[in-house]
Amino acid sequence: MIGKNTPLWGKKTRLKSSYDAVIIGGGLHGLATAYYLAKEHGMTDVAVIEKRYIGFGGAGRNTAIVRANQRTQQNVPLYKEALDLWPVLTKELNFNLMFNNCGNLNLMHSEAAMNAARMNVATAQFHGVESHLLDAKQIKEMVPALNISEDITYPIHGAMYHPPGGIVRHDAVVWGLAKGAAKLGVEIHQQTEATAINTEGGKITGIETSRGKIHTPRVLVSAGGYSAGIIYHMLGIKLPISVLTIQAMVTQPLKPILDHVVSSGAYHAYANQTLKGEIATGAHMDPWPNYTTLTTAYYIKHQAQALSEFLPCLRGVKFMRIWGGLADMTPDMAPIMDGNDPIDGFYMDCGWGYFGFKSCSAVGKHMAAYMAGGNCPDILKPFNLRRYENHRLMGETAALVNYTPDN
Amino acid sequence: MSLTLTCPICGKRNGYEFRYGGEDKGPRPAEEGLSPRSWCEYVHMNKCVAGVQKEWWFHRDGCGTWFTTHRNTLTNLEVEEPEATS
Ligand SMILES: Cc1cc2nc3c(=O)[nH]c(=O)nc-3n(C[C@H](O)[C@H](O)[C@H](O)COP(=O)(O)OP(=O)(O)OC[C@H]3O[C@@H](n4cnc5c(N)ncnc54)[C@H](O)[C@@H]3O)c2cc1C
Ligand SMILES: [Zn+2]
Repeated sequence: MIGKNTPLWGKKTRLKSSYDAVIIGGGLHGLATAYYLAKEHGMTDVAVIEKRYIGFGGAGRNTAIVRANQRTQQNVPLYKEALDLWPVLTKELNFNLMFNNCGNLNLMHSEAAMNAARMNVATAQFHGVESHLLDAKQIKEMVPALNISEDITYPIHGAMYHPPGGIVRHDAVVWGLAKGAAKLGVEIHQQTEATAINTEGGKITGIETSRGKIHTPRVLVSAGGYSAGIIYHMLGIKLPISVLTIQAMVTQPLKPILDHVVSSGAYHAYANQTLKGEIATGAHMDPWPNYTTLTTAYYIKHQAQALSEFLPCLRGVKFMRIWGGLADMTPDMAPIMDGNDPIDGFYMDCGWGYFGFKSCSAVGKHMAAYMAGGNCPDILKPFNLRRYENHRLMGETAALVNYTPDN
Repeated sequence: MSLTLTCPICGKRNGYEFRYGGEDKGPRPAEEGLSPRSWCEYVHMNKCVAGVQKEWWFHRDGCGTWFTTHRNTLTNLEVEEPEATS
């Protein structure tokens, strides 16, 4: 029986006073890294420390979209590897991750946007990621529910179509990874909050938690939206991150009408139909940092307006639930993965914004290699923190995301 | 959660009228002797405090004033200026 005393992933263990590695945050990235540390590097004396319960953060709140049609040559291969891993992990973990590779349709509403998409498509194809452009007529044939008429705020010109992307069941990923990691010996400690990180002579020596002190030479902070605050509070290291609330909602269940993920930058809205029939849809972020995860009527109205324009058959359909989570945004919309700088044994994996679900499998694999061997894998090198002071921002966004008084 | 902010000219207004302008980082560093590192620190780096922070706002859909306020990022409520802690 899975109950209060028997977690789904196995037996409850006692918190020890020392581990080879400690991971702060029982989200997607923490659990994936723990799993690969044990599986590929034989490091099984690992503890995942989770303040609430696994999946409490973005892991259990995201809209589960996966894709690999990012913008830059550093990012595309990482996301491609992650996308290719879903079927592999489903087998390996022996857990149904419900990968539905229904394809992503990214709507374009101007000729300028189509031109930008041309560059994205070229990058994707260069890296072996299937992606191509469709015109409005082809879109209509693919998704008859879409409104391609001229009389909406942002008429649809075309779309970037990415067939291998889609949806993966996010909770299943959390549970599958937890189960897989625990089976190999990793310990997962819920209701345990990291409160300090200890260092001595430029090296990690351990952490303090709400349940006592732990000695360890290696700490990974993968606490999602909480990472930047924790890293500044515990180590005095500032990060180029702004933590914003992002909201999502689902409608009442409907008969099948939408068999692709449809997104629109101009409308700041994306939607897909879940296997239960609900339309799951997400919006843009409230543009001020906060840790509340509370929701606003503003976005319910915003989503209703946007969806009733480009998917008019949804007019009058009711929203059933709305929720919010944290998105830790960086100026170049690319994450920060780094280690041993400026503290030996200190690793971080954060700044994922709203891309941390689709990336978690491949990142866990590479962060595990980084932590086990101490050397940064080539694929992670461009994501170091120093890129900001070296003016080597990544260009995952054409215009910088910046929240300072200077612009 | 709707956010309400107090513009020094217009008074309490809906948060969506404003544009966030970043954590207060003190005066812009002087050009002379400026290193890439300290410029980066000023332009990009944040404390991401879970609690009260001093921050900049711009009354974009209002009078156009820039001002600073103190807000608790855990509750999203403006607070009276806290006593100096450092
Ligand atoms: C509404 C919404 C929609 C999204 N949609 C998508 C999407 O479609 N596709 C996509 O790729 N991404 C999406 N994301 C982003 C994605 O969910 C995150 O990037 C991802 O969850 C980050 O994973 P993580 O493992 O780093 O952190 P999280 O999953 O947030 O886990 C961090 C964990 O750390 C714990 N923690 C915090 N502080 C401490 C402490 N002091 N001690 C111990 N533990 C602590 C938290 O309780 C939490 O469980 C979305 C996010 C939201 C909120
Ligand atoms: Zn004003």
